Amino acid sequence: MKRWMKLAAGVVAISLATAGCAGSGGSGEAPNNANTPQQLSGELTVWLMTGSAPDTLTSALHKEFQDANPGVKIKYEIQQWNGIQQKLTTALASQTPPDVIELGNTQTPQFAAQGVLADLTDSVNDMNGSQWLKGLKDSATFDGKVYGMPFYAANREVLYRKDMFEQAGITTPPATRDELLAAIDKLKAKFGSDPDFQAMYVPGQNWYALLSFIFDEGGDIAKAEGRNFKATLNSPEAKAGLEFYKKLVDASGTKAPKDNDESNPQQAGIYGGGKVAMFIGTPNEVATAAKTDPTIKDKTGAFAIPGKTAGKSAPVFLGGSNLAIPVNSKNTAAAKAYLKMFSTQKYQTEIAKGGFVPGTSTDISALSSDPFASVMAKAAQNGRAVPSSPKWGEVEAGQNPLKDMMTAYITGAKSLDQATTDANAALDKLLAGS
Amino acid sequence: MRKSLPQRIALNTVGVVGAILFGFPTYWLITTAFKTPGEVLSPRYDLIPLSITFENFTSALSKPGFTTFLTNSLIVTLGAVVTALIAGVLAAVPLARMKFRGRKGFLFLVLVAQLAPIEALLIPLYLLMRDAGLLNQLPSLLLVYMALTLPFTCWMLYGFVNGIPIELEEAAMIDGCGRWGAFRRVTLPLLGPALVATSVFSFITAWNEFLFALVLMRDQDMQTIPVWLATFRTAFAVDWGGIMAASVIYAVPALIFFLIVQRKLVSGLTAGAVKG
Amino acid sequence: MTSTKDVAAMPAGTTPPASPRVPTPRARRRKGFSDAVLPYLLLAPGVIAIGALLIWPTFQLVLISFRQLDLRELVTGQLVWVGIDNYTEVLGDPEFWQITVRTLVFMAAVVAATLLIALGVALLMKQLNPIVRMLLQVALVVAWATPAVATTTIFQWIFDQQYGILNKTLDLLGFEGFIGHSWFGDGPSTLTVIGLLITWQAVPFVAFSLYAGLIGVPREQYEAAGIDGAGPFQTFRAVSWPAIQPILTIVTFLSVIWDFRVFTQVWAVRQGGPDGESTTLPVYMYLKGIAGSHFGTAGAIAMIMLLVLVILLARYIQLLLRSKEVELK
Repeated sequence: MKRWMKLAAGVVAISLATAGCAGSGGSGEAPNNANTPQQLSGELTVWLMTGSAPDTLTSALHKEFQDANPGVKIKYEIQQWNGIQQKLTTALASQTPPDVIELGNTQTPQFAAQGVLADLTDSVNDMNGSQWLKGLKDSATFDGKVYGMPFYAANREVLYRKDMFEQAGITTPPATRDELLAAIDKLKAKFGSDPDFQAMYVPGQNWYALLSFIFDEGGDIAKAEGRNFKATLNSPEAKAGLEFYKKLVDASGTKAPKDNDESNPQQAGIYGGGKVAMFIGTPNEVATAAKTDPTIKDKTGAFAIPGKTAGKSAPVFLGGSNLAIPVNSKNTAAAKAYLKMFSTQKYQTEIAKGGFVPGTSTDISALSSDPFASVMAKAAQNGRAVPSSPKWGEVEAGQNPLKDMMTAYITGAKSLDQATTDANAALDKLLAGS
Repeated sequence: MRKSLPQRIALNTVGVVGAILFGFPTYWLITTAFKTPGEVLSPRYDLIPLSITFENFTSALSKPGFTTFLTNSLIVTLGAVVTALIAGVLAAVPLARMKFRGRKGFLFLVLVAQLAPIEALLIPLYLLMRDAGLLNQLPSLLLVYMALTLPFTCWMLYGFVNGIPIELEEAAMIDGCGRWGAFRRVTLPLLGPALVATSVFSFITAWNEFLFALVLMRDQDMQTIPVWLATFRTAFAVDWGGIMAASVIYAVPALIFFLIVQRKLVSGLTAGAVKG
Repeated sequence: MTSTKDVAAMPAGTTPPASPRVPTPRARRRKGFSDAVLPYLLLAPGVIAIGALLIWPTFQLVLISFRQLDLRELVTGQLVWVGIDNYTEVLGDPEFWQITVRTLVFMAAVVAATLLIALGVALLMKQLNPIVRMLLQVALVVAWATPAVATTTIFQWIFDQQYGILNKTLDLLGFEGFIGHSWFGDGPSTLTVIGLLITWQAVPFVAFSLYAGLIGVPREQYEAAGIDGAGPFQTFRAVSWPAIQPILTIVTFLSVIWDFRVFTQVWAVRQGGPDGESTTLPVYMYLKGIAGSHFGTAGAIAMIMLLVLVILLARYIQLLLRSKEVELK
């Protein structure tokens, strides 16, 4: 027994020592700001998520950067979404963290609040800061300091079958909610005899679409109270938004599951099956649908998610990513220079060509040739993000109260008041956290 | 005790039905892998596939880095299987054949080690590997997989060695074999079925592990097949046909491994008869 | 047999008493230091691997459970001790107890189903002709070897309310109203489907283990039982049961551990929803701890889970150890 005690004591001592000397980065090594010309060197590890940056962008950017900085070698690795939280977390704790990382905009506040990202406030102007996309900038700002550079954004719109609209006698795309409901009725009148037909595919838990309706009513998910957030899902505006969503589900004759979201099953795949006239999605879902039916792309058009009043489409939820530099990066100066080059018009245009709204440029002309992306880009100017709470990442990581709220109300399991009150309480609990 | 013909027919029918029930999800997976995206979730009744395409397989196999991932997986998995078996046999023999202080303690350790909360060990193990400078090196993954399967391997093999009558070894020693020779000629062959059962277990455990591979092996060229599977998913779309095709490809090595070792299972039948 | 074992197990260095049967190997061999050290040498690789890669990290986790270890602390290496705060937080959460009970019930159901089906399959395999047996074995191995990411998806598709083959088949067979029926509408139904999935994947391992035990039984013993006029049930009790009982004990032990801790499948199907009704302890640990990078909290939950397992299995560990001890004495 005594020997055991001794051994245990030794073990404690060792573990304290090892835990204590963990990754010592973060302090004191903030290099001079990027304005002073200096010879950059070393290996710059860049982690971007799969599907984010077109290859044309990265290959051109990396070539130009390495030509300009012969001492720097870029190690570019594409990361997968699966398990990214654990991978990033552990990589940041290593002696050699990646130097540039991509963070989802809903994930950024958590990392910023934990102090593991380098403060970029002084470099914003170097990175075309005046043109940053507001929704993304907000998500990368914490306590007045900036911890990330907007990368790209995407938002939702209504994608529809032009041919079906024509056959049903709908000449102009709906611009208001009432026109949308009227279009659904016309489509049903024309194609309703086919039992598989769905005028609009509306899954019960597409909460991104719900947000548009809530925003349009003037509501929000939560409001900031100092540093904290207070859920506002039981506000009259949020209730009205949810009510309209249910109306849409009921009117559309959708066969989509009421207890799942737009990716289970993948709505673009269903749309590609040819029996759906409309759905709310992002422009790049057209490509997914085209995998099912290559001809569908030419038959598809897009219009902004209609608002209550004509001439003003609904605000949209802005999804996207930021680029950030880990605080313990060994190559902060090179990483900042990299972001600076990334933010230039040339590469922002590449992002736009890839079908996304660029993060650091308001010039979206490259998107105008694409019928789907141009509608999206216009709506993006009226885009809003989720509350920039460090806790929001946890809300989306698992049991999102908004989804449960939608299913409960749409299936009739709960009344409107009950569903919103319960969700509000659940969200408050998550946002307050521990 | 021979069964009558009707009995045998009934039993074999149950066997076939069981195989169908167990095989159905796999069957469904395979047919999905051969479906075009439009057929994956189709309103039509498609218990028997309505169309067949190889596109999913060609696109899956043409994903960059497949051979690297496959090689890494094979190295790590086979390495873990072999090292776990060696360490397991080494431990099983003294446990079953010798009396020494700490024997009971080791058995206790083996049982308690099964309780280790593996998923929660990700952070401590990561820190351990980091401080040992073993991150991003295949041997560290191999070691982790070996450790994950070792307690079970030790316990299983110990039970089997224990079940082999010691008289068989003694007889061999009288015939002039050394202790090693007796072990090699008598005990080891009799361990066949046990080695198969435990190695299949280790193989599948290591072959399917995702999180440790993702986190401990940082660079892409060190990643394993389960990580490759994750590349079919992007932020906006999931290539389900591709995932199913990849899963079929993925399960093939495990199946081959089983088919190779399962002959041992059959020969175990006769080995068992020797014991009596 | 017992006497020879005793001799073989004599401490090295003493001269064994003359055996009435054959001279034991020990007696003929050089004794001394190497024999005393040999067992430890042989055990060393196992002890080192298990100690360094399972026990030591678990011990680290105990320490972590008393710390605040968020991203910040992980990256900077700061040590912030919070005493039992992580534990009081978890234990003070009314949801926690409900989830614990749910996890235990779920685990018990899955373990029972797995063992019963696997036992049936193992006994059946012995009786089948080689081709049918091979068919069954391949079906089992493939179920076992297919990656969880694919099988969880396939199960969800089979059970899909609109396009799932199950609902389509039920509808075709005349059970009206199954088109559009959601199998994931509430907690119990969701957990049942998840339970099916886990059982499907767990049976092969247990069945093969039991089968390995069964085929170790010499055929003569069955024949002897047959001659003695024993019915199938008596034969099973007298011949098969003793052969598989130790294996059954260990696989029950393992199944309890695995099914109590299973995360991937539960998470993949509905992330513990709807309304948190299919949340089990590992999912709770993920949501409370890992998702927000609160590794201290995750460590505390892992420790509580470990404690629950120890309480559940203490008797089992005792039994397993005792059975082995008896054999060697």
